[in-house]
Amino acid sequence: MYLKTIILSAFIILNSLVESAREERPKSLDQKVQQLNDLYQKKFLVKFNGPKFKEFVKSPPRNYSVIMMFTAMASHRQCSICGHASDEFMIVANSYRYSHRLTESPLYFGIVDFDEGSDIFQLLRINTAPVFMHFPAKGKPKPLDTMDIQRVGFASEMIAKWIQERTDVQIRIFRPPNYSSTLALSILFAICSSFLYIRRNNMEMFFNKNLWGVFSVLFCLNMISGQMWNHIRGPPLMHRNQQGIITYIHNSSQGQFIVETYIIIILNTILVFGAVIMIDSHTKKTDSKTRKIMTVGGLALVVFLFSVILSIFKSKAHGYPYSFLIK
Amino acid sequence: MKTLLTNPAGWKSLITFAILFLAWVSGFSARLFAVIRFESIIHEFDPWFNYRATAYMVEHGFYNFLNWFDERAWYPLGRIVGGTVYPGLMVTSGAIHHILHALNIPVHIRDICVFLAPIFSGMTAISTYFLTKELWSPGAGLFACCFIAIVPGYISRSVAGSYDNEGIAIFALQFTYYLWVKSIKTGSVFWSVLTALSYFYMVSAWGGYVFIINLIPLHVFLLLIMGRYSYRLFTSYTVFYILGLVLSMQIPFVGFQPIRTSEHMAASGVFALVMAAGTFNYIQTRITKAEFKFIFIFATLVTSGIVLLAVIGLTWAGVIAPWSGRFYSLWDTTYAKIHIPIIASVSEHQPTTWFSFFFDLHILVCIFPAGLWYCIQEYNDERLFVVLYALSAVYFAGVMVRLMLTLTPAVCILSGIAFSKIFENYLKEDGPVTSNGTKTVEEKQPSKDKTPSKSSQSLSSGSGKSKKKPPTIASLNSDNSNGEGVGSNIRSIVTISMLLVLMMFVVHCTWVTSNAYSSPSIVLASFSNDGSRQILDDFREAYYWLSQNTDNDARVMSWWDYGYQIAGMANRTTLVDNNTWNNSHIALVGKAMSSTEPKAYEIMTSLDVDYVLVIFGGVIGYSGDDINKFLWMVRIAEGEHPKDIRESDYFTERGEFRIDSQGSPTMLNCLMYKLSYYRFGDLKLDFRTPAGFDRTRNAVIGNQNFDLTYLEEAYTTEHWLVRIYRVKKPDEFNRPRIPVLERKIRIPGASAISKKSARKKKGIIQGKPTVQKGKKPKATNTYTNGL
Repeated sequence: MYLKTIILSAFIILNSLVESAREERPKSLDQKVQQLNDLYQKKFLVKFNGPKFKEFVKSPPRNYSVIMMFTAMASHRQCSICGHASDEFMIVANSYRYSHRLTESPLYFGIVDFDEGSDIFQLLRINTAPVFMHFPAKGKPKPLDTMDIQRVGFASEMIAKWIQERTDVQIRIFRPPNYSSTLALSILFAICSSFLYIRRNNMEMFFNKNLWGVFSVLFCLNMISGQMWNHIRGPPLMHRNQQGIITYIHNSSQGQFIVETYIIIILNTILVFGAVIMIDSHTKKTDSKTRKIMTVGGLALVVFLFSVILSIFKSKAHGYPYSFLIK
Repeated sequence: MKTLLTNPAGWKSLITFAILFLAWVSGFSARLFAVIRFESIIHEFDPWFNYRATAYMVEHGFYNFLNWFDERAWYPLGRIVGGTVYPGLMVTSGAIHHILHALNIPVHIRDICVFLAPIFSGMTAISTYFLTKELWSPGAGLFACCFIAIVPGYISRSVAGSYDNEGIAIFALQFTYYLWVKSIKTGSVFWSVLTALSYFYMVSAWGGYVFIINLIPLHVFLLLIMGRYSYRLFTSYTVFYILGLVLSMQIPFVGFQPIRTSEHMAASGVFALVMAAGTFNYIQTRITKAEFKFIFIFATLVTSGIVLLAVIGLTWAGVIAPWSGRFYSLWDTTYAKIHIPIIASVSEHQPTTWFSFFFDLHILVCIFPAGLWYCIQEYNDERLFVVLYALSAVYFAGVMVRLMLTLTPAVCILSGIAFSKIFENYLKEDGPVTSNGTKTVEEKQPSKDKTPSKSSQSLSSGSGKSKKKPPTIASLNSDNSNGEGVGSNIRSIVTISMLLVLMMFVVHCTWVTSNAYSSPSIVLASFSNDGSRQILDDFREAYYWLSQNTDNDARVMSWWDYGYQIAGMANRTTLVDNNTWNNSHIALVGKAMSSTEPKAYEIMTSLDVDYVLVIFGGVIGYSGDDINKFLWMVRIAEGEHPKDIRESDYFTERGEFRIDSQGSPTMLNCLMYKLSYYRFGDLKLDFRTPAGFDRTRNAVIGNQNFDLTYLEEAYTTEHWLVRIYRVKKPDEFNRPRIPVLERKIRIPGASAISKKSARKKKGIIQGKPTVQKGKKPKATNTYTNGL
C-alpha cells in the first residue's frame, strides 16, 4: 500500500518536474532531472560514484540542490559511527520524500562511499567520514555548507535543522516508530501477567512489606544519587585526562560521571543497610552476641560510609572546610 | 511544688516546648546572615515584584490591588496583576502590617516583607513537629522539627529578604498535610474542614498547591486499592474535596482551572471512586453475595468506560485543557530541553546532581531511606501517606532542582523517624525497664535538645546548660547494664558517634547558609587579599540613576531577568520581566539584542524604547552577566524568528562561543556585544593584562574601536556592572556630526549659483539687521552645542 502511493506520488512529482523543467531549461537539465528521478524511484538515497557525481553534482546546469553524505560503510574501514550517521540520514531522506513534492527547488539526497568514489573524496579534500555537505543549485559549496557534526552531532533533527538553514526547506522528521521498547514492555507485561496467573491463588506477595520497602528504598536511592541527571544530560562514563589517568569523580560541583553516581548509590545503599541493622538489633529477638555484632557493624558502616561520602563531597566542593574521620 | 517538679508529664511538655521554641529561634537567627552582613533589603528578582505588589496593596487597599492593571510592565501590553498572581503572600504581610499598625507599632512594610519568611519557617518547624507526631512519635517529631528549622534545602528559599511564595507555602503545605493526617485518623468533619481551609491558604500562596491536590487523592486511591476503605476515609476526603474545590476557585488566578485542567482531574476521578466505593459498601449490606458480584463487575465496567470516554471527549473538545508545558516537562524529562527554551533557560529547572542533594540535606539524605523502610514495615493509613509523599517528592526533586524544596520536609520527617529509632534504642536502659513508656520518652529528649541548642550555639550565644545534660544521662544509663543488652560501652559509643554526626550536620547547615544562600544578589561583596570586604552596589546605583534622571514614563529595555528590579527600584516601565508569560515579546527583545545596530533600532523604535540597560561583568569578573546569558537570548529569539536569527551564526567555525578576535563576525557586531563592550577597548584594568581584557571570559575583546550610531551611552556604574544607553531620536543620528576639518562649506558664488542669471549680485533684504562678523552671541552658541 505504502509502496503504491509512493510510486504514484513519485510519478506525479516526476511529471510536474519534467513539465516545469521543459519550460525553462534545455535538454540536458531535463534529462538529468529525469535520470535522477529514475534513480530516486528505485531508492530514496542516490548512490554516487565518480562519473555520476561529476555529471549530476559538479556540472553546472542544475535547478536542484543535493545533500550529500560522504561515508565509509565497508566493514574493513572500521567506521563505527558511519552506520549510525547513515541511519539518521536515511530518516531525513525518507521524511523528506513522504512530505514534500519535488516541484520547486527540489532536494536530492545522495551518498558517496569511500570505496566507490575515492576520487570524489580527493577532489573535495575530505579525509574524514562521515561528512555531510550541501551542494547548492547555484555556485559552489561554502564553508557553512559542510555540517559541523563535531558541534551539533548528526541526529536527524539536527540534520533537518541544518538543511533548513542552508536551503529553507523545512523537513519534519518522521522517525519510524521504535518497536524495541514496545516489544520489551509487552514482554514484561506478558511475564508479569503469566506470573500473576500462576500465583493467582496466592496474592500474598502484594502484601509483602519487604518487597515494597526494598522497591521504594531503591527508587529513592536511585533518585538521590542523580540518576535522573544522567538520564537527561547523558554524561560520560568516566573521564580520561591528557596523561591518561582515569578519573571517576567529576572535578566540579556542576557535573558528575556515571561511574561516580554508581559509587554513590552503592555507598548510600550500604549506609542505609547499616542503619537498618543497627536499629533492628534491638527489636529483633536475638542473643546478646549477635546483637552486639549487629550494633557495632551497623554503626561502623554508617559512620565510615558517611565520612567517605563526605570526603568525596569535599573534594568536589572547593573550599568546603569540614570532614569527618577521613580527610 | 514538689509534685510539679517530679511529675514526668510536666517535664515532658516543658522540654518539648523548650525544644520547639529553641528550634524556632535558631531557625530564625540562621536566616539573618544577609540582614546582618548587608542590610534589611529585598533579595534577587521575584521578591522585588512581590514587594512592589505588597506595597501597592497596602497603599491602595485589597480590592484596588485585585483590579490593578500595571501599565509599567510588558510595555505596550501591560499586565493585569490582580488576576495573575497568587495573592496569599501579599495578603499575609498586608494583614500583619495592618494588625501591627492597629496596635500602634509603626513597622515599615519592607521590614515585614524581609522577615516574613524566617518567621514562617518557625511555623513550618512546628507544623512538621505535629505532623511527625501524628505519624510516628513525639520524639521523632522533635527531631524532624529541629532538622527542618536549619536544613539548607529549606533555608535556600526562606532567608530574610527572600520574600517569595515558597517562604509561606511550605508552612501551608506542612500544615495541610498535618490536618489531612489528623482528619484521616479521626474521620471528623471538623478536621477535614480545617484541611480544606488550610488548602485554600496554600492555593492562594503558591502554584505548588497542585502537589497537594494530586498527592491526597493518590493517598486515598492507594488506600482504596489496598482495601482499607473506611467511613473515616469517605468523610474526610469528600468534605475536603468539595470544600477545597469551591474554595480554590475563589482565587482569581486559579479561576476555573480546578474543573478544567488535567492537573486537577485525578482529584475528581478519585472522588468518583470514593463515591462508588461508598455505594458498593452500602449495597453489600443489602443483597446476597452472588448478586453483589454481578452488580460490582457490571457497574465497574460501565462506569469506567463512561468516565474514560467522557474525559477523552472533553479533552478533545477542549473543555479540559491538556497538561501545561511546565508540568509536562516533569514527566517527559527531555521535553523542555527540546521544546520550551524559556523553561530550560532557568537554572532552577535543571535536573539535580547527587552533589546538590548532599549539599542541601547532608546526613539526612543518607539516612532517610531507613526511615522510609520503617514506615513501610510498620505501615498504617497515615504512614502510607508519608511514604507516597517521599516517593513523589524525591522523583520531582530529581527532575528539577527547585523542587528540592518539596522534598526537604519529607526527608526531615523520615530521617527524624530514623534518628529517633536509633536513639530510642541506645539511650534506653537495657532490660525490662522498657515497659515504662513515659520514662523512655523522657530520657530520649535531652539528647534531642542538643540539635537546636548546638545550632544556636554556633549561630549566636551558646547556652551552656543543655551542654551538660547528656553526660549525666549517659552516666545514669551506664549504672545498670545487664547481660541481655549490648552493654553500656557500646551504647554510649553509638550515642556519641551519632551525636557527632548530627553535630557535623549542624555545622554544615550553618556553613552552607552563610556561604551559599545568604547573598542578596543585588548587592555584591568581594574580598580583597587582606580580607577586607568591598561592597559593590552597582545595581542600586544604576536603578537610582534611572529613577532620578529619566522621564517618569521612560521605557527601559533589558533582558527579562532585570524587569522586576527595574520596576521595583527605579519605578520605570519595562518591556519584559520575570513573569515570562509572553514568549514572543521576550523573543522580540532577544532579537533586538542579537541583531546588528540598525536592525535593532527598527525593533526598538517600534517598541518605543528610550533606554537600554545591560549587565556587564567583564571589569570585575561577575559571571552572571548578559554576555554569558546571551546564547539563551539567541535561542529564544530563534524560536520565534528562525529566519532572522540563527544560533550557529554566533559560534565560530569550530563551534565555540568566543568574544575575542576569533569570534564570529555576527557575534562581534550584535547589539549586545556593542553595548557591553562600548569604550571597553580603551580601559586598561591593571599592568599585567592588555587593554580591553575581559575578566569574566579571560580574553581580550575582538571588536575594540567602534562607535554607536543609534544609541549613546547614558550612564555606566562605578564597576561597569550596569550600563545604560539612551536610544537616539531619528533626528539625532540622521545628521551625523562632521569634524570641522572635514566640513565642506559651500562658498556662495562659483557653482552654487544657477547659470540662468549672469549677475553675481546678492539679493538685498530690506531693513536687514547688521551683524558683526566673528562675534556670535554666546547664549546661541551653547544652545547649538547642547543640541
